Amino acid sequence: MIKLEDLSKRFGDFYAVRDLSLEITTGEIFCFLGPNGAGKTTTLKMLTGLLAPTAGRMSVAGIDVRAHPLEVKKIIGYIPDTPFLYERLTPVEFFRFTGDLYDIPRSHVEREMESSFAMFALDQHRHVLISDLSHGMRQRLAYCCTFLHSPKALFIDEPLVGLDPHSIKMIKNLLIEKAGAGTTIFLTTHILALAEDIAHRIGIISGGRLVAVGTMNQLNEQSGVDGNLEEVFLSLTRPATTGTHPSHPNT
Amino acid sequence: MSAVSSLTLKAWYRLRGTWRELRRQSLFKTVFIALFVAAMEIGLFILFLSGFRFLGRIGPLVVSSLLSLFFLGLGGMLVLSGILTSYATVFRSRDLPFLLVRPYSISHIVVVKFLESCVLSSWAFFFVVLPFIGAYAWYQHLSLLFAVWTLFFSIPFVVLCSGIGTLVAILFVRWSPSGYLLRALVVAVLLALTTVMAITAHETRHADNPNVFILSSRLIPGLHLASSPLQPGWWAAEGITSFGRGSWGRGIFLLVFLSSNALMMIMLVELAGRWTFFNGWQKVIGATGRIVLRKPLVQWLERGLFFLPHDVRAIVVKDVRTFLRDPMQWSQFLIFFGLLGLYFSSLRSFRYDEQIPQWKTVIAFLNIFSVSTVLCSLASRFVYPQVSLEGQSFWILGLSPTTMGRILLTKFGLALAGMTVISLSLMLLSTRMLRLSVDVQVAAVVLAVCLSIAVSGMSTGLGAIFLDLKERNPASIVSGFGGTLNLVLSLCFMLLTVLPFAILSHMRVTERIDGSHFRPGFVLALIWLAALTAVAAVVPLLLGRRSLMSRDY
Repeated sequence: MIKLEDLSKRFGDFYAVRDLSLEITTGEIFCFLGPNGAGKTTTLKMLTGLLAPTAGRMSVAGIDVRAHPLEVKKIIGYIPDTPFLYERLTPVEFFRFTGDLYDIPRSHVEREMESSFAMFALDQHRHVLISDLSHGMRQRLAYCCTFLHSPKALFIDEPLVGLDPHSIKMIKNLLIEKAGAGTTIFLTTHILALAEDIAHRIGIISGGRLVAVGTMNQLNEQSGVDGNLEEVFLSLTRPATTGTHPSHPNT
Repeated sequence: MSAVSSLTLKAWYRLRGTWRELRRQSLFKTVFIALFVAAMEIGLFILFLSGFRFLGRIGPLVVSSLLSLFFLGLGGMLVLSGILTSYATVFRSRDLPFLLVRPYSISHIVVVKFLESCVLSSWAFFFVVLPFIGAYAWYQHLSLLFAVWTLFFSIPFVVLCSGIGTLVAILFVRWSPSGYLLRALVVAVLLALTTVMAITAHETRHADNPNVFILSSRLIPGLHLASSPLQPGWWAAEGITSFGRGSWGRGIFLLVFLSSNALMMIMLVELAGRWTFFNGWQKVIGATGRIVLRKPLVQWLERGLFFLPHDVRAIVVKDVRTFLRDPMQWSQFLIFFGLLGLYFSSLRSFRYDEQIPQWKTVIAFLNIFSVSTVLCSLASRFVYPQVSLEGQSFWILGLSPTTMGRILLTKFGLALAGMTVISLSLMLLSTRMLRLSVDVQVAAVVLAVCLSIAVSGMSTGLGAIFLDLKERNPASIVSGFGGTLNLVLSLCFMLLTVLPFAILSHMRVTERIDGSHFRPGFVLALIWLAALTAVAAVVPLLLGRRSLMSRDY
């Protein structure tokens, strides 16, 4: 479903992502881990077409992201770690705006809005300006709008930032349910427990390079560490966290 | 380290960062823009000098009072600008919560924010002052040091006027009514202003004095007020001319007087900051969570735009909603039209139909120049920042199945629709009020349409090239490098397209050319206008699209 071939991104002399090759199958939850500035968000932004790669190829559902960006954008959804939404719109207006952008019939938008707002507990705030919503509510609204056009592939940067325990539980269940229904999910996180809980496979990136990828057992084998994900992660990314891979402001 | 010094240091670091950023730009671009700015300043210098020479023929009294009038007018603008900029800078600044939890006193934070708003609201002031003072010094045969004296006086003058604006903003935010009471107050103020303008226009229309000098004095409604020694504009103007004349004692006295008033204004801002800012800010941040009523106007617009593609309609409706809900935007828009109202209220005093043909041409094209200048300013203020105002939410559009070219064209279309309605209304209204001939009215309308196309394209395109998605304050976006360039280029376009028509008409009226030369000349001017309009609109849009497509988000 998602394919990356020798993907690289350079900012000046600094490689944020280097020769990244990866394949993620349909319905898979793939969790991308790495220290700060390792290149996780850069990879996500390249996959969503927000950032142009310096080299390499990437495709979603067999469609080249660079060659056919519009086709790809129709079938993907992206939720950034900090969802900057249009602050002077209300959730209802923003939801309808998103529907219009994706050319979804208004009747479908209205139906989806009712169910999504109920599910994400946004009903009471539907006519309040987004600028007046808390971070968690904005994040929930971002989820609502992203699911509106039923994306085949979902890219999520830090999915649980700012959410309360109820929302976290609901999001985890929702992601598992979506994956079960055939949506491919590519997410980055620093919360290792989340990766252990829901990911089918985990990739670890450090200094722009993919250092390990696979199921938990495969990661144990690759790292030579017989422990939990935290121990595996720390052993694989130790050089990066001790400062041998200085991060770039753009990563 | 005190708040003032540490925050000033922060501003210095920011300035240094901007300088580094500028140095990274290509040399060609920097030189190109510098040349354009210089050309614009020289153009303004020539324009002001011609104005002085013209007014000098009417009477020396007018010229001697002109500097005071100039400072009075700019002072008024600075106060208005100060009110609006202060609201954004003092109350809506993003770093305010960060600063308020640091060990800084609130009054110091307010003073720093006030100084920041002074800089933001006064950049255009210096842009205009420079050629005006140069022309004035040239005309009055004063030394080059005149410019230095002007700088000495301008800084405290700016602080004083912006300070009044900031004080008004702080006190208004703290004590202003809200809801229906506020709306009633706004309507009452607008009604009062309209009544005053109507009465002024009526009196001017019935004034019965053919004397050119008195008529000209009527055209300059503030001449009497400008000569009052109680207003700061007079202190600055009188001080500058005192230095120019070599009356050092009087000059120094006025400089010290103006500076002490400016310092007092800073103290008043500090006091207002200490006593009322926090409660006012609480009111601002407390005004959240309110239910937004659906506006029938926007719903009607949404339905009326059924013929547009879904994504284009979505962006248009979103932009209109955002504009209507941004008090910073529409309040400045209203002020623009308030100033235009003043201009229109004095139009009939020109008694165009009673003038000799030479005067008729001068007045007709001065009107076209005035209205065009307003349109250029309007585009620079409201059209240029519209792509940047997408802000960090731009990822939403970037991710949606639409192209950058389409987004840019939508912004251009929206701007063009607004600008065309405004420019046509203004041109038709002013030419009708002046009772201009049908020929001139047609030329004015054609120029208005072309100007709308050109400045909309230029401002949208340059806004995309000099995109600043991190800045949320429109005043800061406009006062940047790209905003200045956009204003300069818009004014250049206006001069380059209106002047050929003005020169041709003047030559025809003064019988320097006959009808057989006038007609081909007019056709050539039209071709020139069409070509320049196409270039001015299309090239920036293409470059803007390329810039948006190649940018990382």
